Amino acid sequence: MSNFEERLLSALKEEITTRTAEDRMTTTVTPDQRGSRRRRFVGLSAAAAGVAAAATAAVVVLNGVAGAPAYAVTKSTDGSVSVQINAFTDPEGLEAELADAGVKAVVDYLPEGQICKSPRGQQGSASGKFSTSLTKEANGISFKIEEGQVPAGETLVLAVSKSKDGDDKAPFAMSLEIVKGAVADCEVTAVPQPPADGRGGDGAPESGLDSKTDGEDTGPSLNQQTQ
Amino acid sequence: MRLNEDPAAFEAFYRRHVDAVLKFVARRVSDPHLAADLTADIFLAVLDSAHTYVPGRGSEIAWLYGVARNVVSAQHRKAAREARATGRVAGRRLMDDDDLVRMEERIDAERRMRSALEAMAELPEGERAVLELVAIDQLTVAEAAAALGIRQVTARVRLHRARKTLETVASPAAVYVEGQA
Repeated sequence: MSNFEERLLSALKEEITTRTAEDRMTTTVTPDQRGSRRRRFVGLSAAAAGVAAAATAAVVVLNGVAGAPAYAVTKSTDGSVSVQINAFTDPEGLEAELADAGVKAVVDYLPEGQICKSPRGQQGSASGKFSTSLTKEANGISFKIEEGQVPAGETLVLAVSKSKDGDDKAPFAMSLEIVKGAVADCEVTAVPQPPADGRGGDGAPESGLDSKTDGEDTGPSLNQQTQ
Repeated sequence: MRLNEDPAAFEAFYRRHVDAVLKFVARRVSDPHLAADLTADIFLAVLDSAHTYVPGRGSEIAWLYGVARNVVSAQHRKAAREARATGRVAGRRLMDDDDLVRMEERIDAERRMRSALEAMAELPEGERAVLELVAIDQLTVAEAAAALGIRQVTARVRLHRARKTLETVASPAAVYVEGQA
């Protein structure tokens, strides 16, 4: 039986799934300023154009498991660097590939529930126009770094809390930041629990109704590309 | 358990209350498409506000009506229209012809309540809000107070004043669809 009530229920449940996945993806990004960072991520992902067609160099590293590439780093003619991670193994290899593509990076993969304490250093200069887009692939993740986003002296810092179901499964959480100067070692900490919905606030029902800002936030969803 | 994280919990909540929400909306708007939009908006707002609901502290329905009132308020409708334009769950797109007919029937059934609401339009906002929830939506005074985030004694006083005003003005019968005072 299908009617308005049932269809609405399905749509809403889908919305829950989308939001939950989205929270996981963004929740650990600099917890102290989650709001602004979250918006940045989500807003810009709408512009995620995918991997530019005119790739000049593609580096694919084969992961032993089933022959699937663990990650791919692609540098486009426009100077942007696309990264796709299918399995969270060999972080050093990914760092090396990124370095070859002109992006200094520090990558840490941690077990589920653990993440590096953030921030890892001084915030990068490009923060204002940080436009790394992030797409959650079927299981892995992909993102694109525009030219100049990680200038000399700055480092892309990626930390991933892997899924307990396997290295090639959708990550439990991740954080991505750009650090200027020295990058602190990964100080392992528990992934912060999303405070209810990542928005905080309390009190009477009225105050809970912040759906206007939410509307903007959840508009172009980070996970629109997933099913 | 959180409504906005657990689809199963949300489904149970939805099934418990979808009828009440549809009625709530049908008492307030006469356009079936808008009614569908608002119904969807109310449940989206439930997801947004799930963190404000503490199970066991006040009734679920009171909390839900508090959320619903905000959604249906004129101010919110405007914002919601913009949000819809960016493509969240849009209620009206989920309706087929049968649903449209059913929605019209609902709206028709609530005609009397809508005119009662109109009769209350002149009341001060605070008083009207309480009377609305008690007389129209059949909440108890305690629930209405919880929905509005005011103290019970305040709700009682406002309700009393509202009834008195209407009595002296016009006294539309529907207002006396005896709310459990």
